[in-house]
Amino acid sequence: MTTYNIDSKGTACPGPITDLIRAYRKASNGDIIILQATDPGVVPDAKAWCGMTKNELVNTKENGTEYEVTIKVTAKK
Amino acid sequence: MSVIKIAMIGSGAGGLITSSKLVAQLSEEIKQEKVSITIFDKKETQEFQPGYLEVAFRGTRPAKLKRPAENLVPRGVNVVHANCASLDIDNHQIITEKNQEKYDFDYVVVSTGCSPDYSQIPGLKEANLDFYTDADVSSRIFSTLETVKSGRIVVGIAGLPYKCPPSPNEAAFMADEYLRRHERRKNVDITFITPYTRIYTAEPINEVIEPLYSERNIESRTVFNTDSVDPAKKEITSLEGETLKYDYLFLTPPHKPAEFLKGTDFSDDEGWVKVDKKDLHITDHDYAFAIGDTNNIPTSKAGVEAHLEGIVVANNIATNISGSGSKHFFTGRTQCSMETGFHHATFVVGTYDRPVEKIKPSIMNYTEKKVMEEIYWASLHGHYEWLFKYHFKKDYFSEGTS
Ligand SMILES: Cc1cc2nc3c(=O)[nH]c(=O)nc-3n(C[C@H](O)[C@H](O)[C@H](O)COP(=O)(O)OP(=O)(O)OC[C@H]3O[C@@H](n4cnc5c(N)ncnc54)[C@H](O)[C@@H]3O)c2cc1C
Repeated sequence: MTTYNIDSKGTACPGPITDLIRAYRKASNGDIIILQATDPGVVPDAKAWCGMTKNELVNTKENGTEYEVTIKVTAKK
Repeated sequence: MSVIKIAMIGSGAGGLITSSKLVAQLSEEIKQEKVSITIFDKKETQEFQPGYLEVAFRGTRPAKLKRPAENLVPRGVNVVHANCASLDIDNHQIITEKNQEKYDFDYVVVSTGCSPDYSQIPGLKEANLDFYTDADVSSRIFSTLETVKSGRIVVGIAGLPYKCPPSPNEAAFMADEYLRRHERRKNVDITFITPYTRIYTAEPINEVIEPLYSERNIESRTVFNTDSVDPAKKEITSLEGETLKYDYLFLTPPHKPAEFLKGTDFSDDEGWVKVDKKDLHITDHDYAFAIGDTNNIPTSKAGVEAHLEGIVVANNIATNISGSGSKHFFTGRTQCSMETGFHHATFVVGTYDRPVEKIKPSIMNYTEKKVMEEIYWASLHGHYEWLFKYHFKKDYFSEGTS
């Protein structure tokens, strides 16, 4: 299992979700993607993305102006 | 006193405006042979890349987009007709592909753009026609479109990143317009695919174009992550195992930076150059810069960014050399036009601090886009900076603060 730490801090829409999709292409089922961002849109966007792709949203954290979304890759064929 | 050498790698949109601006600001120093500027690029013909869509979906002749590179490089700039094979920033040295010649520099600006990377998606190259490789490849889409009477055209985003974020959506609208004008739309499906959760990733623009997709009967498949294409079966498979049949494929491939940037300590794991997003200096090197599509800043890969970044970098190098003037910073301003068909367009506009705005498609926006096409080549010579300043106002650059 690999953990992909993606630093999207300072990038605004569509930054973080672009970085998530790029990491997802490299990842395999069972891998973890940890996405850090300062764009508050990252949480609803990542939730919607997980719901639509059927990957698992493990948790979201908020620390002042920083957000962290953890996703487990489960939907790849 | 030894000559101060400025090296520009790449003579595209970013490289040309940077050298024009440097020549303008350092004219005295160049005349007195205190400063020399050299541009490295083996390309002998430059193309107006936004015009690839016109070639692909309106049948514009490829020749209309081409200009000999030698007519574009400003007077006073030396040209080396060779690509860079390696860049050693610490030792101030470029080695060219041709004859492995060595050149040293005091300042370097990397502006080598990006290009389609078909290796990421098996089968895509054999199956696809794109409007990113060059004008001649784009014209093959039009030759195909002229023969389409029925079936499914699939357009959209096959992988990230790519240049000009609205261009895949424009392809959907322009294919629709062509087929409607030729009364062949009835038996043709147009399907747009994207790995994003919306038809256009930024919500304000999505709100504008989603209703148009319904109106024009353009189907969409969001969160579709293209994994591979089977040209024999004419089928696309997603990373999640979904499949989609096509008859004609005009997808946007993922893009890659120039080969010599991969594996360097100043680029990320894919080769995009790591820079400060405001003054564009390459991390840890205050005399080296990367502008335009090749850097890793969090804005779209578009000509407007390359232009405004070039203005900032040229000013800062000139100020450093001449010892007068103030430092400038890039605001993150983006402005990509999106044609929505039938002489209408919207713009994707934002900065680092301002999210993308909602701008309704209009004939006025379309006219603005057409004006830009007319002044494009002259603008690379710096002839329209008054217009850029007027248009972009405080987004043209910021001054004094980082
Ligand atoms: C279909 C389409 C539509 C577009 N629409 C728009 C739009 O509406 N608005 C907008 O702002 N932008 C648009 N763009 C994007 C715009 O054209 C690019 O973002 C812009 O050209 C980037 O400038 P650049 O200098 O970074 O790269 P380029 O202009 O691509 O120039 C890169 C140069 O580097 C050279 N080079 C490469 N490797 C080397 C090497 N090893 N050594 C030396 N030289 C090298 C190349 O030969 C080339 O000349 C569009 C692009 C396309 C394809």
